Amino acid sequence: MTAVAPAQTQERRWPEKAAVRIPAWIYTDPELFERELQTFHYGPAWSYVGLECEVPSSGSFKRSWVGRRSVIMVRDETGAIQVLENRCAHRGSMLCWKNKGKESSFTCPYHHWNYDLRGNLLGLPFLRGAMGKGGMPRDFDKQKHGLRRLRVETRNGVVWATYDEAAPTLETFLGPEIMKLVDRSFPGRQLRLLGYNRQLLPCNWKFYFENSRDPYHATLLHSFFTTFGLLRTDTPFKAVPTEGGRHGIMASTYSRDTASKQNEVTKQLASLKSDFRLNDMEVVTPVDEFGDSSMINLSVFPSVFFQQHGNSLAIRHIIPKDVSSTELSWTFFGYADDDDAMHRRRMKQANLLGPAGHVAVDDSEVLALMQPVAAGFPDSTQVIEMGGRDTAPQETMVTETLIRAFYQFYREKMGL
Amino acid sequence: MAEWHRVASEDEIKEGEAFPVTAAGAAIAVYRLEGALYAIGNICPHQGDVLLSDGFVDGDKIECPMHQSCFEIRTGKVLGPPAQQDVPAYPVKVEDGAVFVRV
Repeated sequence: MTAVAPAQTQERRWPEKAAVRIPAWIYTDPELFERELQTFHYGPAWSYVGLECEVPSSGSFKRSWVGRRSVIMVRDETGAIQVLENRCAHRGSMLCWKNKGKESSFTCPYHHWNYDLRGNLLGLPFLRGAMGKGGMPRDFDKQKHGLRRLRVETRNGVVWATYDEAAPTLETFLGPEIMKLVDRSFPGRQLRLLGYNRQLLPCNWKFYFENSRDPYHATLLHSFFTTFGLLRTDTPFKAVPTEGGRHGIMASTYSRDTASKQNEVTKQLASLKSDFRLNDMEVVTPVDEFGDSSMINLSVFPSVFFQQHGNSLAIRHIIPKDVSSTELSWTFFGYADDDDAMHRRRMKQANLLGPAGHVAVDDSEVLALMQPVAAGFPDSTQVIEMGGRDTAPQETMVTETLIRAFYQFYREKMGL
Repeated sequence: MAEWHRVASEDEIKEGEAFPVTAAGAAIAVYRLEGALYAIGNICPHQGDVLLSDGFVDGDKIECPMHQSCFEIRTGKVLGPPAQQDVPAYPVKVEDGAVFVRV
């Protein structure tokens, strides 16, 4: 009898020239996807969950996600924010199926187990049986069957959660450069929720993270940017990897005179791209509200991208669904003390973003083209040498340093 | 106007048990506690579709069978969540062996 060799699991190796190549199988391997969730989302990282202004009073809740796990962000009776696993402690049904609302307690749809706003099990039907029969064993302890509570930090209205009790503080996790810029958008001013968009991207979640760290594509793919002078390759620009490549900053500078010299902007159009115009140029005419003439976008791994496009302030919550599917949940916000003109400007400029945004629609379309190619050519490699082969910060848009830095971080954490 | 309604014979109401009745369209449960009779609303205000009389009499409290909210039998006062409202308490009297509740 001949011994049959056990089936070899195919060993995946990062290709040569590792710092400037990406293998396509990292976007298609389901086992790797699970390992990423364990390593990043459920590991010592802080995930964006929501904004405090979304849950204004006791019992207000929002359904959110940490990795692929659903959580409930809820304000409890004391005014504190809780982030609870959205999983009944009984049989594991999703407890809350609404995206937002207000409840005094949460009741599971399946067997009606009921939990308070801090996740404690208040009661369950027929604990003592019915007509003297059935029921839970006498020693069943309700206190041991509550919802899992995540560790929470709130800072200036933004709610973060982690599964890891030993994780460093949020401030340490973000690092000084990101913290400073998060505080620029969230300085402690009362926030005003403007609205949501949600979309399902048919691609691996890392494709989306890379997209938000890729200034090289911005003026090429997004003709809307160049057409209306919001972003051009000669724009002063900074691409700054932080925290060993975990996070990333993209900052561009627009003219201080953009608002007052609308005509100059429109004059440029002719030289850039025919004579395209918008009926309402306010959509592409930002006001320098932060006093630094900058558009700053922050990639905070593994959960969120904070975006300031002109006066449109948006949060892109990146929610992996499976190896080839990613939910993108957009939250648009302003400040409670915005005047009417600024509010109108934010709403108009929000048209650049979201699933059908003048700019952002291009990203969803191109990423939908990438996933099937990765699936068809898992052993192919991608080239990331634009701007050199290192991971230093650079002052140009024509660079892939943020992507290189990210994969250096990723490979180290994943042992690849 | 509240009126007295005959709801039971006195010997039907026993210590440690809830006796469900309906009077003037209201669901009520009558209890005997240390000899005296009490009548309180019988629908748990938490979800509004459960009869407290299907629950568990624990001393001077009735415990809802669904989520174990407890109510004082003497007053209808809610003692713990998830229910947040009291159930009403009704006056009770006994005449010639018959129990009357004023609703």
